[in-house]
Amino acid sequence: MQSRRVADIDSYLDPAAAVWSSEAANRIDMIPAPLGLQPTDHIIATWENRPYGEAEWADLKSVHDGETLAVHISWSCAKISIGASEGFPDAAAIAFPVRGEPILLSMGSSDAPMHMLQWKAKGNETRSVLAEGIGSSLPGPSVSENGKGGWSQGIWSVVFSRSLNAPENASPLSAGMTTLIGVAVWNGTNEERAGIKAVSGDWTDFILEA
Amino acid sequence: MSSKQVAMVIDLNKCIGCQTCTVACKTQWTNKEGQEGMYWNTVSTAPGGGTPKDWEGMGGGFRDGKAQAGIRPKQADFGDAWEFNVEDVMFGGDPNGTVGPMEGDPIYGTNWDEDVGGGDYPNSFFFYIPRICNHCTKPACMEACPRGAIYKRDEDGIVLINEDHCRGFRFCQEACPYKEIYFNQTTGTAQKCIFCLPRVEEGVATACSRQCPGRVRFLGFLDDEDGPIHKLVYKHKVALPLHPEYETEPNVFYIPPLAPPSFDDEGNEIDESRIPILYLISLFGPAVHDSLEIIKHERELKRQGGTSELMDVLISRNWLDLFGPFTTQPKDVARTLEGRGNA
Repeated sequence: MQSRRVADIDSYLDPAAAVWSSEAANRIDMIPAPLGLQPTDHIIATWENRPYGEAEWADLKSVHDGETLAVHISWSCAKISIGASEGFPDAAAIAFPVRGEPILLSMGSSDAPMHMLQWKAKGNETRSVLAEGIGSSLPGPSVSENGKGGWSQGIWSVVFSRSLNAPENASPLSAGMTTLIGVAVWNGTNEERAGIKAVSGDWTDFILEA
Repeated sequence: MSSKQVAMVIDLNKCIGCQTCTVACKTQWTNKEGQEGMYWNTVSTAPGGGTPKDWEGMGGGFRDGKAQAGIRPKQADFGDAWEFNVEDVMFGGDPNGTVGPMEGDPIYGTNWDEDVGGGDYPNSFFFYIPRICNHCTKPACMEACPRGAIYKRDEDGIVLINEDHCRGFRFCQEACPYKEIYFNQTTGTAQKCIFCLPRVEEGVATACSRQCPGRVRFLGFLDDEDGPIHKLVYKHKVALPLHPEYETEPNVFYIPPLAPPSFDDEGNEIDESRIPILYLISLFGPAVHDSLEIIKHERELKRQGGTSELMDVLISRNWLDLFGPFTTQPKDVARTLEGRGNA
């Protein structure tokens, strides 16, 4: 997929902004994160007979202005969960490889880490995260990350934004560059969290227009 | 498995259900925002729903070494913190006011079914069962955490949650078969009994133990052959873990409760304990039978003027003998810390 270069990135930071409707959507097939890759036996035992990761697709759109990247992701979610009191929030994440060839489903490795932005419906919280394998995620460096989401008629739409320029361990991006992008979404109503999620099974080519 | 293991033995024959331990723990550790409904120490009436409600049916732990699915207890299962209208009644000017919960009738709380018990008159029965985190040798919570945020200290076997690593996923709550882990909605992290770590590290007994008016709780290291724990668990084999079938190898043990004899239909005493042995087996496993027989035998020895190390330990005439190596007075620790400039 391509991230188109635009002049006015600010008008793209709202997921409901009309400007997004003219951007082409790239449909990504999603799968439940494999049970066998869950990090603990307890999680496997609890979820082996319980459906999860049932979002079948995620539509991605992206633009950048040479300094800031915006990624628009939408997916089907019949019932909204903002994680009130004891509930788990709906959430989404986008990932980029930091170096090497990280395996998306196993969230990279120490030799090939990946950098993520994770958004949660609870307070529109967006975090920069660095992962070197399942269960290893740590706060990542600041990339001026931001996220804004909106839910309407069974569809979540979220815009992630971040600076293209970034430290080495936060996937520095630049106009004209080709990299990879991965996606994950969590259904809070189904108590999905951590590795219990829907993911793109593999990376998708991601080209930032020069 | 840790190099050393602290442990606790709770004598159910001496617990009077006064909740002093609960209050000692509450005021020491769970008096902050987000902990209002949190009790790291509970005392519930058995038989009963317990805390959280019906926790014994919530799964978790291991079976034949394999991790088991579990249900995550919710705040409502523990019971919300109740706010009472004390100010209104005492200072509000209404002479007919009565103290009660401010936001409607509560639907559950710790020791909710106090003294209800089981059995039918005249063979009705109950006893109290204090519970804390069992600081298990095989902690299911630790196995379940995908973040590696739960760890077991090598030097004393205390199981702790590193709240800097905890992300509030709460798999630990599902996996703990004793449901001894709480979720703090303010911090977004899991929290539980820390076996009074800062006290124990200074040689001071846990708050629940020191404050107990009934001298119910024994402390020490499992391998300390001169201490009360080793004597009760290994030497005399009378202290048993709760629900050993959960396979987490708890390090809190219980002296099972003796009871008066039952009555038959004619009102005559029969040679059968008022507390059904099958109920006790369901709590402590089949070893409870031998444990009770040993205690009865030793008690009879003592009654007849003989000597019994077991009875002397259980009677605990010297209060500090309860606490193994943890006999330092808190006030002395405060002085020591002050001397170090840490007060």
